[in-house]
Amino acid sequence: MAYAYLFKYIIIGDTGVGKSCLLLQFTDKRFQPVHDLTIGVEFGARMITIDGKQIKLQIWDTAGQESFRSITRSYYRGAAGALLVYDITRRDTFNHLTTWLEDARQHSNSNMVIMLIANKSDLESRREVKKEEGEAFAREHGLVFMETSAKTASNVEEAFINTAKEIYEKIQEGVFDINNETPIPWIPSELQWRPVTARSSDLRQLQTGDSCEANGIKIGPQHSTPGSPGSHLGGQQAGGGCC
Amino acid sequence: MNFLRGVMGGQQSAGPQPSGAETIQKLCDRAATSTLIDDRRDAVRALKSLSKKYRYEVGSQALEILLNVLQTDRSDSEIIGFALDTLYNIVSNEAEEAAECEDENPQVSDDLGVHFSELFLKQQENITLLLSVLEEFDFHVRWPGVKLLTTLLKQQGPQVQQIVLVSPMGVSRLMDLLDDSREVIRNDGLLLLQQLTKSNAAIQKIVAFENAFERLLDINAEEGNSDGGIVVEDCLLLLQNLLKYNNSNQNFFKEGSYIKRMKPWFEVGDDNSGWSAQKVTNLHLMLQLVRVLVSPVNPPGATSSCQKSMFQCGLLQQLCIILMATGVPADILTETINTVSEVIRGSQVNQDYFASVNAPSNPPRPAIVVLLMSMVNERQPFVLRCAVLYCFQCFLYKNQKGQGEIVSTLLPSTIDATSLSAGQLLCGGLFSTDSLSNWCAAVALAHALLDNFTQKEQLLRVQLATSIGNPPVSLLQQCTNILSQGDKINRRGSKVQTRVGLLMLLCTWLTNCPIAVTHFLHNAANVPFLTAQISENLGEEEQLVQGLCALLLGICIYYNDNSLENATKEKLKQLIEKRIGKENFIEKLGFITKHEYYSKAAQKPQPIFSSPDHMMFDHEFTKLVKELEVVITKAIYKSSEEDKKEEEVKKSLEQHDNIISRYKSVIREQDLQLEELKQTVTTFQTKNEQNQTIISQQQAQIQQHKDQYNLLKVQLGKDSQHHNVHTSNAQMNGIQSEEVLRLREEIEELQKQQESLRGELSDKDSLIESLKQTQLDSQTVQVTGVSEPNAEYKKELEALRSQLHVQSAEINRLQAERTELLQKIEGKASDSGSSGLSTLSTNTEWEEKIATLLQEIASLKGELKAASEEGSSLRQQLDTAQSTAAILQDEKLQLHQDISESKKEQDDLLVLLADQDQKIFGLKKKLKELGQLVEEEEDDDDLESGDDEDEDEEDEGGREGEN
Ligand SMILES: Nc1nc2c(ncn2[C@@H]2O[C@H](COP(=O)(O)OP(=O)(O)O)[C@@H](O)[C@H]2O)c(=O)[nH]1
Ligand SMILES: [Mg+2]
Repeated sequence: MAYAYLFKYIIIGDTGVGKSCLLLQFTDKRFQPVHDLTIGVEFGARMITIDGKQIKLQIWDTAGQESFRSITRSYYRGAAGALLVYDITRRDTFNHLTTWLEDARQHSNSNMVIMLIANKSDLESRREVKKEEGEAFAREHGLVFMETSAKTASNVEEAFINTAKEIYEKIQEGVFDINNETPIPWIPSELQWRPVTARSSDLRQLQTGDSCEANGIKIGPQHSTPGSPGSHLGGQQAGGGCC
Repeated sequence: MNFLRGVMGGQQSAGPQPSGAETIQKLCDRAATSTLIDDRRDAVRALKSLSKKYRYEVGSQALEILLNVLQTDRSDSEIIGFALDTLYNIVSNEAEEAAECEDENPQVSDDLGVHFSELFLKQQENITLLLSVLEEFDFHVRWPGVKLLTTLLKQQGPQVQQIVLVSPMGVSRLMDLLDDSREVIRNDGLLLLQQLTKSNAAIQKIVAFENAFERLLDINAEEGNSDGGIVVEDCLLLLQNLLKYNNSNQNFFKEGSYIKRMKPWFEVGDDNSGWSAQKVTNLHLMLQLVRVLVSPVNPPGATSSCQKSMFQCGLLQQLCIILMATGVPADILTETINTVSEVIRGSQVNQDYFASVNAPSNPPRPAIVVLLMSMVNERQPFVLRCAVLYCFQCFLYKNQKGQGEIVSTLLPSTIDATSLSAGQLLCGGLFSTDSLSNWCAAVALAHALLDNFTQKEQLLRVQLATSIGNPPVSLLQQCTNILSQGDKINRRGSKVQTRVGLLMLLCTWLTNCPIAVTHFLHNAANVPFLTAQISENLGEEEQLVQGLCALLLGICIYYNDNSLENATKEKLKQLIEKRIGKENFIEKLGFITKHEYYSKAAQKPQPIFSSPDHMMFDHEFTKLVKELEVVITKAIYKSSEEDKKEEEVKKSLEQHDNIISRYKSVIREQDLQLEELKQTVTTFQTKNEQNQTIISQQQAQIQQHKDQYNLLKVQLGKDSQHHNVHTSNAQMNGIQSEEVLRLREEIEELQKQQESLRGELSDKDSLIESLKQTQLDSQTVQVTGVSEPNAEYKKELEALRSQLHVQSAEINRLQAERTELLQKIEGKASDSGSSGLSTLSTNTEWEEKIATLLQEIASLKGELKAASEEGSSLRQQLDTAQSTAAILQDEKLQLHQDISESKKEQDDLLVLLADQDQKIFGLKKKLKELGQLVEEEEDDDDLESGDDEDEDEEDEGGREGEN
């Protein structure tokens, strides 16, 4: 149960592209052809290993319909990774990617890793969107790209794990402030929310809530921050070193 | 809205109010039109002070203006604060009530709140505005803002929730209130979130996503868990909002490993001094939260995984400590029992643990026994007794092992007369004079039989000693006896309750158990009793009993194997037709499901009754009735021919069933075995792993020893180098012999050198010999032979010197002679020249001879010197060679010792390794055997498979074993 890091993901994309099936395949290793329409948001979790470290993934599967769009927006800010999914047999789901991406970029923190997923790769005969098109879109928008099949499980593990690897690398590069010493740069939408004239005594207040946890990352109890051997003695560190 | 005006209008006419209204109008104008911020601020401040007393007037006239202020005067936190305060006073009913409330009709103030909330919400943007105002950090802005939004949520919940939900950062901004360093705001933030999350799953999920669980659990811990104040209560209420009926959040809670953080909640210790009202409330909510996670209405998978974690993190154990502690308030104890019930329900591991819990009494008694004592104790509170029954039911739910254990405490073979057992308590309850005890014990016993054919059969063996002198009577008979004689016994409570309880027990017992039916029918009095009950026309109270009697008779027909001549299916059916009538029978049977208590009990497993009189049906029994009613109705209406036909079909089916059930049991057994084997395999695997780690550890140790050894040797080498420059540096174990070899070679070479030097020496000797010989020849000097080297050199030299002396003395003499002669010759030269010439020639001859001799002597001297030098250097070389050899010898000895020591060490390690190898081999062999076994079992499932696959099996077994 102990983990070094915890990452929060969201899965977004049009209804019916296979978001829920991808999650089920990843968490339960099974495919359920007839799946309930997701209402609002559903939750799933799994442990993975990267670089010898246990990483817990908490994944929120969202409903794709327009009517739930505003609800799902609430999940962007706190997510470290997003899987943006389209269906290779339905061009419209590919065409809607721009809207999804704009939405995600607007409401998420700037460090969120977005992975573009072309799902249902098993339905080659009904393909409407070429792999090259997906690759081109991903390149253009700086996303990682992958074709998957929730049915055959092809590339499903990789999709989730590669996203985690990206995030992990960002942590290693120090993009996320896992020690919560200094707040990471504000994103514009958050600036509006923060008090313009904070008192010095309020600074502590300012910093909370914008640590890595706000970015969908949490440091597990088994993690010890390099260069701070005292963290084990700290005691409180154990509960959740970060935030 | 007219009625509001009416009420207010009445007030207005009664005194100075008109001027109030006018003042308000003036203030509104000023707040709306003044260009000076100070002016506007004063106006809003004044409005605020009037807003409690003139709530309606301020509300109806100033609402728009106040909202405007919020929008336009954002830079002035003071005016924003006043505006929010005013709005809060207008919208909130509490603010008014808190002030002197002249209203005779609280309904009116409630309506006012709703009215102004509606006005506020006419514009959706107003909520968005309020949300953005909450960004202001100033306490005087944020606090009233929080209170206002909370009030709006209270009055117009769904609408406000919807608006918050669609504003992108809405929920997450409100979540940030929990991080506010000012406790007042954090605490009011809790209240706000409580309202916000009320019955809105989407918001609940977002709040959870925003790390609410972490935050709330932290706050709880900071505040001292159950010892904390109202803030803890508020946190718990919010947690309940987030988790109740929200499977997704429950899953998140479990996956987030938060269950283990509930454990400290229940570490209440044994000090019973502090059970404040707040603590009781807190613990109640905490227990309810545990129950939310393991509720029987949750999806089965979710509940069982939570149950598992609750055992793993020690939460269940902690709850059991409270269960057995003394001094716990009764309602907390009751709720703890209910909680434990649901934590163990249907979970074998947890049930097994619960069975092992002992009360800290002397002697220690099983918790189950202690609890049952309370269940059949009239003095205990009703809810507590219900809780114990629930706990017992949950303990037996899907727990064949537990059922067997309970029933076994009643069996003659295993009965233990010395200590109170569960079975004894149940029997005591069954036959006590308290109807509640009768009912509870009957239902509890029925649960020990549910879906368990074996225990139904076993329970038939139970005999009771009723009174001294009378023969023992079977438990089954005693139940029917009480049923029929019930009227004669004076009981506390309801007679119906007792009879309903016993009938439920009998119905459960006889269902699906033809032997029990035969036993029941064997007593000739039973059937007439039932038919009499059913056919009588009794009052409403007795209808339930009639219905249950019909059910019991129906069971006797449906599960009749016709083994009793005078009570076959057919005969019983005829009896019904004659005595009761089919229609009548079915109608009476229908009384059960039509009863209002029936549908209540059918709702959920926990026995909850508004009063002890309503305690009639058990949840599991309602399920049984549902199944039986249909099949019994069919059985009654069937003609005898149909019956016969069916009988035949049934027989063949039964045969089939028999075969199938035989196979099933075989499969089940194999399943069990398989499971066991799997477990053994896993234990072996873990053991194997452990062993392997031990081996690798030991290998590492060996390596370490080797390294250490080598290090020591190097050090040794260095040390000896310090002591002796000549010591060669033998370093490695393996190289040692080489080194010795090399040293030997060196020694050999040195010896050879020595040899050759000796040869040279002897050459020199011979040379010297020959030289001496020549000397001897030429000068007739006697020299003793020098044959031995080294030692003789000096002598020789001495001899040569003395020779030299002699010779030089001779030479001197000769020279003196010569000079004498020369003088003579010079003296005579003048006399005679010829004689002088001959002397001269002999003189020069002599002189030449002497010179050559002198030369010879000098060269001999040099040669001698060189030879003696060579000799001494040879001696030196010999000395060094000899000492080197000695040192080398020493070293060799030491190295030999070292080698033998390390060899011994190696041998020890080898023995150890061989031991380990042996162990691994044994384990592997075991595993291999097991692997084969498993393989065979699996093949057995496939009943068609023959022996011809044996070879394959062995192969697979072999492979399995290697894995
Ligand atoms: N052939 C195929 N069908 C898929 C795949 N993934 C999902 N589906 C089907 O697509 C439909 C929609 O899937 P669902 O997961 O509910 O989509 P969501 O609305 O994005 O959550 C379902 O009928 C799935 O059976 C896939 O990889 N291959
Ligand atoms: Mg879905």
